[in-house]
Amino acid sequence: MSLDTLTRPWKAFSYGFLDASAKREMRRKILKAIAVPGCQMPYASREVPIARGWGTGGLQATLTLVHPGSVVKVIDQGADDSVNAASIRRFIARVSGAATTLDTLEATILQSRHRVPEEKLRSDQVLVLQVPNPEPLRPVEPNMSVARQMHADADYGRMWLQLYEQIVRSGRVMQGASYPSLVNGRHVMTPSPIPRWDVPKLNMAEHLTILSAGREKRLFAVPPFTRVEPLVFDDVPYRVEEHGALSCHRSGALGFFMNEIPQEDGTARYEISDSQLGVKHLDGEAPGETWYRDGEFAT
Amino acid sequence: MQSAPQPDAREIRDNASFHALMMALSRPGEVQTLPEAGFAPLAQALLDRECRVFADDDALVPVLRATGAALVPLAEADHLFVALDSAAAVRALAGAAVGSFLYPDQGATVIAPAQIGVGPALTLTGPGIEGRRTLRLGGVDPALWEARRRLCRYPEGVDLFFVDGRQIVGLPRSTAVAEG
Amino acid sequence: MAYVATRGGERAIEQAERLYRAQMGEITPARVAEIERALPHLIDRVMGEASLYAPDLAALALAQSGGDLYEALLLLRAWRSTQPRLQTAAPVTQEVTLTHRRISAAFKDIPGGQILGPTLDYSHRLLATEVLEGARFVPAPVEKAARPAPACHPSLADWQKAQGLVEAPALAPVARDAIPDLTKEPLLFPAKRAHTLQSLARADTGGMLALGYSAMRGYGNAHPTVNELRLSEAEVIVRHPDGTEFSAGRVKTSQAEVVTTKGEGKLRLGFCATLGWNEVKTIAGATLDLNAPGAPKGSPVNEEFFLYHTEPVESSGFCIHFKLPHYVTFQSSLDALRDAKKRRETTEEPA
Repeated sequence: MSLDTLTRPWKAFSYGFLDASAKREMRRKILKAIAVPGCQMPYASREVPIARGWGTGGLQATLTLVHPGSVVKVIDQGADDSVNAASIRRFIARVSGAATTLDTLEATILQSRHRVPEEKLRSDQVLVLQVPNPEPLRPVEPNMSVARQMHADADYGRMWLQLYEQIVRSGRVMQGASYPSLVNGRHVMTPSPIPRWDVPKLNMAEHLTILSAGREKRLFAVPPFTRVEPLVFDDVPYRVEEHGALSCHRSGALGFFMNEIPQEDGTARYEISDSQLGVKHLDGEAPGETWYRDGEFAT
Repeated sequence: MQSAPQPDAREIRDNASFHALMMALSRPGEVQTLPEAGFAPLAQALLDRECRVFADDDALVPVLRATGAALVPLAEADHLFVALDSAAAVRALAGAAVGSFLYPDQGATVIAPAQIGVGPALTLTGPGIEGRRTLRLGGVDPALWEARRRLCRYPEGVDLFFVDGRQIVGLPRSTAVAEG
Repeated sequence: MAYVATRGGERAIEQAERLYRAQMGEITPARVAEIERALPHLIDRVMGEASLYAPDLAALALAQSGGDLYEALLLLRAWRSTQPRLQTAAPVTQEVTLTHRRISAAFKDIPGGQILGPTLDYSHRLLATEVLEGARFVPAPVEKAARPAPACHPSLADWQKAQGLVEAPALAPVARDAIPDLTKEPLLFPAKRAHTLQSLARADTGGMLALGYSAMRGYGNAHPTVNELRLSEAEVIVRHPDGTEFSAGRVKTSQAEVVTTKGEGKLRLGFCATLGWNEVKTIAGATLDLNAPGAPKGSPVNEEFFLYHTEPVESSGFCIHFKLPHYVTFQSSLDALRDAKKRRETTEEPA
């Protein structure tokens, strides 16, 4: 060994920001996450130049996958123009030289916070979801060591009990986003805080989804054609948000997940959450195939 | 901050090798293409001083050592580069790390040579497969499938990759393999 | 049209950043040098929490963030995360560090003596307002002792161990290159000892104080006595490729050992060390370490609890992330809430 082998020409930062050893760790963990769908794999989670809780987990996954030929789309709450999505997209382009897009169909890597786009993803696309809290058991068991043991034992009784209690108290399951779902019949995962509307899009999908929590240092995945079943009782069916009959006041798009905009007169207007799908409607451009048709999930 | 750094040849190859590995494991039995033939690009994309590796082929040892990974006995390795073409090799695989129900990620990654597209047919079902998929795999001892069933007490288990020149297929522990 | 606002959004965030940076104005090498010279304790605190010993980079980070400690830390951690790990330096023990200050509250005097070193502990905290009126504050010169204190001092715990007073943990020898590194592998529980000590070393000073203080006040099970508090400089001994060991420089380190007399007839130790001189942090950290064994899950002295919640970059990042839009999740919950309300109204209607 010589000093030359220990040093390297100084560079401000590596290609894709992450150094080679960080990428290798991510690669190893992504493979294990794919091998055991829905199971949270711990990883070291390097600090990156955005704050923890702002998409550092998703960013580390994207920076591991990205190459100069990639086309990257970044959304937050469904919108490309959300300030944090814009900031992350700019950072990825700056450190990787990858192209960026707003069009779901053009992207090879889609990094998202809280939404799955409405247009169907293909087998050559990877969806990277930012995850604030990877542990679906946290509401019933805040201690991570105990929760981990519960996953090992497939001990989801308290989870079921919580859902049952909600039905007794409120007449329905009160879980909003992050609906706990059983993956491949074995591990309960949080699909990240996507609305209930989006969870069926992960079930038996064409695309690979990587879910990465940077602050909590856990990574999990849903491979293509993998069962993702929201936890429901036989006699209380899973219900997505009642947005099927709503239409966007700007674009006229109908039957997609909407943002509710309160008006001064006490009423509310709706605008489509998937901003680029709204743009396509406005421009009269034919959208790609969508998961929902006429407000109903098309199986 | 400076303009986007350019990836060097190594970076491009590692990225492409991993893409093939990721797609191979996401779509078990579907053939993916590696940027270069052989085990070396896979070792370089995955291994460093955080890893413990085992190889049954002495010719591969310098490549593995250069990654910084520790060369260890089979049972202690998180990455194994082994031929699975004999009953003895398959028996040895029974000692591989399978992780635990608490930490399934500690199950080993096994990379083996094989002939893809020839040999006995296997029927695969499980995550990543729409319905079922048929894979023909030669150069692998038939005892492997029973040994694999015993190793993979899901979510424990090992994840297999078979490499044939620039072709690669993956069999994660979540895949059910039936002979025929 | 919000839809075409993508460029507008990018312009807004750029201008917001400019507005922030305008407060600090031009950053010059002279400003960075002055921060490094004038604020050594702040530099030490930031270097410890960043786990990056580089006073000039710490000063630069403080200049860039305008003194926002969490922003400065994030800058340093993100820079650190891209640096290759070339070597693991030789471990240092207390008795070989060049000790500037070393005190014990457990005994009136200790082998090697109480060395006060630099401290404000016994000063009167009066603002030197005359400086604001144009005068200079010139510190009185230090008078040399008749006999210089030795550079190195023995460990008090070693003396206690020899007396059979301390429960000495079993040594777990680990090869220098195999010391677990928290920044390269995830923190899992029960934590490896190296991970615990590394987490404490990187922890948020304020957060550690809050949890350590809660233990001191009574939410812990053991009252700490400062057995030994030490501020030193440690040689960073690395190995030349030809095998020669040499010092690549020195780093300032703080170490605190606290003890409790509660136990099976022996003293029990809690320990914390960090880069830079930071006494509050190490005493609070050592107190948490002391209280950790057997602590109930979910209590502030439970290892998982305090290690997770004193991580400065994670806790501050998560706290400020609540500024991000959450309207999709909010919408999703609102939908369930309205539906539940509707159901209640339907069922409550008289038949």
